[in-house]
Amino acid sequence: MRFLELLWFSAYAELKAESARSYLGFVWWLLEPAMFMAVFYVAFGVLMGMRDPDYIPFLIIGLTLWQWFKSCISHGGYAIWLNIPMMRQVRLPVLLFPLTVVVSDTVKFLFVFAVLLLILWSLGYGPWRGYVALPLVFGVLLLLATACGVAAAAIVPFVPDIRFVIENALMAMMFVSGVVFSLGSLSEPYRSWVALNPLVGILESARDILMRGQWPDWILLAKAAGGSIVLLVIAIFAIHRLAPRYAKLAV
Amino acid sequence: MSQGGPAVSEILLRLENVGVAYHGVRRVGAGAFWAVEDVSLDLREGETLGLIGRNGAGKSTLLRVIAGILRPDRGRVVVKRPLRIQMLALGLGFVPHLSGRDNALLSGMLLGLRRRKIERCLPAIQDYSELGDFFEMPLSTYSSGMVMRLGFAVAMQSQPDVLLIDEVLGVGDAEFLKKSEGDLRQRMRSGMTCVLVSHQDSTVEELAHRAAWIEHGKLVMQDDVGAVLSAYHAA
Repeated sequence: MRFLELLWFSAYAELKAESARSYLGFVWWLLEPAMFMAVFYVAFGVLMGMRDPDYIPFLIIGLTLWQWFKSCISHGGYAIWLNIPMMRQVRLPVLLFPLTVVVSDTVKFLFVFAVLLLILWSLGYGPWRGYVALPLVFGVLLLLATACGVAAAAIVPFVPDIRFVIENALMAMMFVSGVVFSLGSLSEPYRSWVALNPLVGILESARDILMRGQWPDWILLAKAAGGSIVLLVIAIFAIHRLAPRYAKLAV
Repeated sequence: MSQGGPAVSEILLRLENVGVAYHGVRRVGAGAFWAVEDVSLDLREGETLGLIGRNGAGKSTLLRVIAGILRPDRGRVVVKRPLRIQMLALGLGFVPHLSGRDNALLSGMLLGLRRRKIERCLPAIQDYSELGDFFEMPLSTYSSGMVMRLGFAVAMQSQPDVLLIDEVLGVGDAEFLKKSEGDLRQRMRSGMTCVLVSHQDSTVEELAHRAAWIEHGKLVMQDDVGAVLSAYHAA
């Protein structure tokens, strides 16, 4: 209970402080993803000339979810590392730091998602009863993002050098997750490798619901959930094993 | 002058041959450095134990072991019952862009208080820190003295079973320093269990019931304050 209270308030404080740090405040939560999407839209939609009318919704759904996932990991990497001075002052549950990041990034995602819905509806991809499955899809993505964010938070304090690797690994992961282009046309053996990436199934499920008006592939989603839970359990186990060592590390 | 102290009271916490190693330099193959090598200590309920020793003797590391922040690499820490043991942490988790009120809430919760409890203490914190209307303003508009005052006011709301103090007894300008130090001293005299690291003989003499002298990560002696201090200065 005390942990949850602290978690919510830390996330609230982080969001409030972040919006106070810039002139436009929380407008950036929407503006920044919009700019990011615009870059991809120009690059792939205009310059490379994707003619398919379904490409825009395909892209913006993928990017919205990807940005959420990505921010949990890249921010998560700093979560413990930057708080080591505090961990030297008081005994705190180490999971607090990565989870605070995940909660605040999730709140930001919900704002962006609201805008995404408006865009999709204006493009003619209207709501239907399949939307009830969205929380499930987001829940699975949240599990996966938490697992990866906690893992990044656990490792970076020991090997700060890995920060440079994480950003590029995320970029590579974006391209093999079907964020900006469909992986349906891949040939073997790449197709089977990519199928192991739980993100692919999660993004496809979201697109099924939001743009194709069909229910997600439940088996694919279940596999993604299973994989995410396994990763999360490993990450939490690891961070608890490493917890007593953080206070000894240099920032 | 050292006080008689609760010499017969129950032992709350015992360190047994505690050692703590740091892996200092971030290089492949760098060796360990033992900041604390072998320390055995008792802490009794209601007493103030003074820790003395030169810079780098391992005093602050020892406080962190007692606080449960660092786990000893050898030896063990024995407690009879679950205890809230805390360092006096001023301005813990303070965020410059948040108001004094939000920072007080956040810091208090990080110190282990429930939100409802700190909310009840907010008027007292505002009053004690003498911030007035600044309490609702972002911390980035504060002078450093104001930040310290708020930090101290919040820290005083957390009343752990054992308080660990690393040098700082009070903060702020002359007047606030007198008030904050006075209140902390008052608590130490009125039966709070405390471990105090200080380089000032007068402080240790005034506040501690017993003293322990640490040198190069080892306990040299543990005795009456007067005896330890004179041995320390003779060395």
